[in-house]
Amino acid sequence: MLGVLDNNNLNGGQKLAVKYFSVAVILFVAQILFGLIAGMQFIMPDLFFNVLDFNVTRMVHINAMVVWLLMGFMGSIYWLLEDEAGVETVGLKLGNLAFWLLTSAVTVVVLVYLFIQVGPGDDFTRWFVNEGREYIEAPRWADIGIVVCMLIFFYNAAATFMKGRWSGISGVLILDLVALAGIYLAGMFYTTNISVDQFWWWWVIHLWVEATWEVLVGCIMAWGLIKLLGARRQIVTTWLYIEVALMFGSGILGLGHHYFWIGTPEYWLSIGGFFSALEPVPLVAMVVHSVYDSGAHKFKAANHPAMAWLIAHTFGNFFGAGVWGFMHTLPQINLYTHGTQWTASHGHLAFFGAYATIVIAVFYIAVQQWRGGVWMSGGLAGNGWKWKWALGLLNGGVLGMTMALLIAGYEQSFIERAIEGSTWQGYFVAQVHPWFIQGMNWRMVFGVVTAMGIVLLVWDLLTIGKGENRAKQEV
Amino acid sequence: MIDPVEMQDFFAAFFSGALVIVFGAIYALFLAWGRLRGSRNFIAAAYGVYALLVIAVLVLAEAMHFDGFWNLITVVMLVGYLLAPHGIWLLSRDTHNEAEAKFNSD
Repeated sequence: MLGVLDNNNLNGGQKLAVKYFSVAVILFVAQILFGLIAGMQFIMPDLFFNVLDFNVTRMVHINAMVVWLLMGFMGSIYWLLEDEAGVETVGLKLGNLAFWLLTSAVTVVVLVYLFIQVGPGDDFTRWFVNEGREYIEAPRWADIGIVVCMLIFFYNAAATFMKGRWSGISGVLILDLVALAGIYLAGMFYTTNISVDQFWWWWVIHLWVEATWEVLVGCIMAWGLIKLLGARRQIVTTWLYIEVALMFGSGILGLGHHYFWIGTPEYWLSIGGFFSALEPVPLVAMVVHSVYDSGAHKFKAANHPAMAWLIAHTFGNFFGAGVWGFMHTLPQINLYTHGTQWTASHGHLAFFGAYATIVIAVFYIAVQQWRGGVWMSGGLAGNGWKWKWALGLLNGGVLGMTMALLIAGYEQSFIERAIEGSTWQGYFVAQVHPWFIQGMNWRMVFGVVTAMGIVLLVWDLLTIGKGENRAKQEV
Repeated sequence: MIDPVEMQDFFAAFFSGALVIVFGAIYALFLAWGRLRGSRNFIAAAYGVYALLVIAVLVLAEAMHFDGFWNLITVVMLVGYLLAPHGIWLLSRDTHNEAEAKFNSD
């Protein structure tokens, strides 16, 4: 029935995908909530002191982001699985079990983060409380659980394609999932040498984000363009191959820009600098293809909110990853900027622009199908004000935070690093400078704007298409 | 070895780095649009933007004290941003033509 959220409108993989999407949205809200608290702690350092310290709020803020995006990606793959393979998902019960395992593990890990904030750095802590590696702090038991869940996810996807049909998209996807699960192992072993530890840690952080996640997003984008615009599969697949070649060609050794200051040999300065200079080339080159496609074909979109979020993705990826990344990636300038709010500025725009946007686009594709394939093109109820405002507030909020953090980071690079020579005193001098304080205040203002956007987004996802009796536009 | 940016050159280093990417995108945009529409004006404008890109790369190289190996990066940027849009244009045209021909014959 059109306009009603009904599980009968979904296939097995899509039912599982909806579960992943639901948890992803909850974690997205948690990310923003903890981000607001962490942002507030810059302005009021005493806030929740010894109750919920900054190191914990920041950790939950970032971990929630990593996990909601990961769950969003997994949901997206389950969503397209049966459609792409042409058969029912293989091992769906196991997939459901993995979902509950992962969700339970994430809940327990976060509760432990919140209740045990201080303790000794021993084996018990590493195994059961906090591993201590930034961004991937989950304790060892949860690490193992994550790998098991990823292997089940891989089995679901690979076995379904093996039973059904393979395509260019599924081939790239499966190879990427091998790398996704495999590279996580690099962040799981313990070493007392901090340089060696950081060396491998970056394999997870950089190679996940700037290689495997980018390719995963490429697969989702390729499938999304076929579904939303009716783009021809042969063209989309060819371009997916080209994109993978360009991303891996520059992205893998682009890893070097994280090896500048961790105690690795000096040749990493040259390797990191060279490949970092190459990394934006694919983004710029893709502009040509976008223009060609938009000019050569007059497409009609079957889902305007999803299409708008895909467009936000292209701009966000270009500016967040390309422009904001290259501005401070070469070692001659990165010497002053790394670890300042510059990095946070780049991180906010790049993660939101490259990843959050595309997962939100898939949320809208899912809701459309969940409501029986309802109309989501022009002329929505209320002229679609909720999705438009959510889009505007979220993008405006993140862009505002990015600019505020950029100003604060610029000041830190100047005063803390260049003038004060990265001393402890320099750190505090920079923290009380008006530019830094104003930057933190404005970041908070735009954080609230972002929070308003997420409220509206959730409201819209729950209500868009409700009572709509027109079927979706054919493309 | 690297020779870090001097303090008075911070802004030049950041800003020219951003402009390299932005001009690269505008050059690609104008070039593709000009070819698609057969407009010489747009193609001329594209090369005008590329000239600005060259200036941005040279300012960046100066601010970053590029020397020795690092000059290679200057060359890679200048050649890469010039040629990549042409290459992608050829790939776009050929993949689309091939797909359209197959679609029409089916």
